[in-house]
Amino acid sequence: MVPGIVFRSVLDHSLESLIHRLRGLCDNMEPETFLDHEMVFLLKGQQASPFVLRARRSMDRAGAPWHLRYLGQPEMGDKNRHALVRNCVDIATSENLTDFLMEMGFRMDHEFVARGHLFRKGIMKIVVYKIFRILTPGNTDNTEALSLSYLVELSVVAPAGQDVVSDDMRNFAEQLKPLVHLEKIDPKRLM
Amino acid sequence: MGVTCVSQMPVAEGKSVQQTVELLTRKLEMLGAEKQGTFCVDCETYHTAASTLGSQGQAGKLMYVMHNSEYPLSCFALFENGPCLVADTNFDVLMVKLKGFFQSAKASKIETRGTRYQYCDFLVKVGTVTMGPSARGISVEVEYGPCVVASDCWSLLLEFLQSFLGSHTPGAPAVFGNRHDAIYSPADTMVQYMELFNKIRKQQQVPVAGIR
Repeated sequence: MVPGIVFRSVLDHSLESLIHRLRGLCDNMEPETFLDHEMVFLLKGQQASPFVLRARRSMDRAGAPWHLRYLGQPEMGDKNRHALVRNCVDIATSENLTDFLMEMGFRMDHEFVARGHLFRKGIMKIVVYKIFRILTPGNTDNTEALSLSYLVELSVVAPAGQDVVSDDMRNFAEQLKPLVHLEKIDPKRLM
Repeated sequence: MGVTCVSQMPVAEGKSVQQTVELLTRKLEMLGAEKQGTFCVDCETYHTAASTLGSQGQAGKLMYVMHNSEYPLSCFALFENGPCLVADTNFDVLMVKLKGFFQSAKASKIETRGTRYQYCDFLVKVGTVTMGPSARGISVEVEYGPCVVASDCWSLLLEFLQSFLGSHTPGAPAVFGNRHDAIYSPADTMVQYMELFNKIRKQQQVPVAGIR
């Protein structure tokens, strides 16, 4: 499974307009909000780069499974492709995930809380969320917003080789202009 | 799942593994148990790669990744005396990605396969434990469906086990030990299988029941 992802952000005061437009464009469903706590774990070996795993749990849905995600390196394939493409493995797990990862040798690198809205259009997922920094490690009640904007993420998880997906993503992204200009991120700029 | 006890049945004197399995299944059928398909529990062992050990400063650990046909969409990963993670089958894909850090000890893949029998509220699974091509022992799993608290039904389970295992009836499994009132879960069954497989791996040859 290979997700295509495009990112941008929108300032807090523009959030309502964006949500309104997304409700019109996306599949007709009850608006879904979420409050998640994500922890990023690293396993260091003799390889140059550590192995990264992301463990995510819902803070507002009791009993939901934890979500473990592996994201590979961005594929430096076709430059004309409109979205960032990475190999990904998603696993639902039981609640003792963090204990298990520590037992495997992983160590937590950082954690954050994400709160926002989730929309779908076919196989595309659009997430508008704000990231909160956790002030005291392990205490998710004590957080502060990282910025004055919301992150907008358009992603698709599809079997490898389906490049036509990124065209659908570009077409959808066009419809969100001028509220937000969704573009492919150059991974080198993030380093 | 109900409270479950997993144990090893020694091979009958002068008989092969298969013959002993047949003796046991015939006894169950005479009791009135009905055959209900087959089952399989398998276990692969992974150990921390040497490259990861140096930076961690800790002894290599063994991690077991197991599957149970009773839960076809799940994968169980556990450490001995450590936590047991219940995940979906994509965990196997993750282990492939982690092969630089965790190496599979290929030769130690072990599994048990056999028939499922339903007898009223009891589900009995008698399996032949194999490592590669060789049969190494016999596993017997008995589940009492209606109850999920071990201390509430262990005496009943014991009585049922005695009715067809006779003198080979096991003692209370270690997983019941400290957590008498805890709700029993499939992870507890997998821990029992892991202990059974480890015991069988260490045995040089198929254990034979002594003459009484």
